Amino acid sequence: MHRRRIRDVAIALVLFVAAMLITQWWDFTVPALGRAQYQAVFLTNGQTYFGRYYDRIGAYAKVEDVYYLQQGQATDSSGTTDTRIIRRGHELHEPTSRMLIPKSAILFVEDLTDSSRIAQFMQRDAGR
Amino acid sequence: MSLYDPERDPVRIAGRWLRWGLAWVGLPLVLGVFVSANLDFRSLPLFGPERMSAVLFLDGQAYFGHLDDSGESGTLLLRDVYYFKTSEGAVTGVPVGLVRRGTEAHEPADGMRINRDRILAIERVGSGSPVAQGVQVERELIHTSPGNLSLNRTTVAGAAALRDQRVAAEHDIARSWTAAVDQLRKLNDLVLPVTKAEADQITEKAMTDLRTVRRNALAALGTEVGMSATDADAYVRATDPLLEGQSFATDVGVLLAPDLDAIVNRATQLYAQVGDAAAKQLTQAKATPAPSPSARP
Repeated sequence: MHRRRIRDVAIALVLFVAAMLITQWWDFTVPALGRAQYQAVFLTNGQTYFGRYYDRIGAYAKVEDVYYLQQGQATDSSGTTDTRIIRRGHELHEPTSRMLIPKSAILFVEDLTDSSRIAQFMQRDAGR
Repeated sequence: MSLYDPERDPVRIAGRWLRWGLAWVGLPLVLGVFVSANLDFRSLPLFGPERMSAVLFLDGQAYFGHLDDSGESGTLLLRDVYYFKTSEGAVTGVPVGLVRRGTEAHEPADGMRINRDRILAIERVGSGSPVAQGVQVERELIHTSPGNLSLNRTTVAGAAALRDQRVAAEHDIARSWTAAVDQLRKLNDLVLPVTKAEADQITEKAMTDLRTVRRNALAALGTEVGMSATDADAYVRATDPLLEGQSFATDVGVLLAPDLDAIVNRATQLYAQVGDAAAKQLTQAKATPAPSPSARP
């Protein structure tokens, strides 16, 4: 009887730890088959983030390894502006690579093609 | 004698397994998922590092603090809140300043309930980021206790971080002083409606006032970082001559703790007031006495 109780507690502990680890790894993301490596996430305030988008159970979606476009000042008389792609993480609060976005703030999400210059840049940058 | 053996009854056996499964399999699994969903393995409660979140709003505003998003009420609770204020032309070298929530005119209590519909994104603040350092130094300045037994420990800056911020604030005060003096020199280069002697006198008076502002700012800085009145006085006498003539133009911008930033901003405002008063005196010709009216035509 005593040994059986120890076995039960051990099983419960193993399952508890396993559930915790699997949940941490899973992060409530919804699997999406056949999608591209990177997505563009268009937000209701007009901003666009690029990165690996994951739909999640609950109020938030997740974007990892986030990049965004930054418009520079016009450098010459023709008025052409310099647009740069910036990896998120060097701001004053140095955010980690995981960004949670309320689904209510998302307008739409698009896959980036492999030939996309932004996707290629992100791929090169990730490999560095 | 009955042929029914309750030990072999399949319904009873199934019931036993079901009870066992619920108690020793189902419950641990549900608990594991629940605990893990509310836990960040990189920042475990009680002994892990502080978990500070950045809440970015749709209107561009960003708030930093301890986030509680466990409820399903449609609102998030943010505690120990800090945010950015724009400081165009700031002498700190950073385009924004950090503000501690609670110091506004309506003095709100801790705990900001945020409508989830107004949120653009939530991020984790890097522990070594300028925002985290500014917040940690501010906590040291307002004597916040680290709170060892907490689900999200509060990190308070050490002596080294406090010294770094104090030095950065000194340099900001010096940089601002240099800018004010340069402005004064440029004014003196113009063709002025006052005589050279008058201009020198006005400039000398302004320089004295600017030095007083700098010394007062250093004294406030010393008091703010915890020095006694005597120590602060000695600190001013030692530091003030070192800042004279230094521009610190190549310094990297430091996001100051709100209370230190307030001292720098106040000094900058006072420098500007002294400069404006001197500029007014330098650029306005003294009214020449009008000829007294004569009784005769």
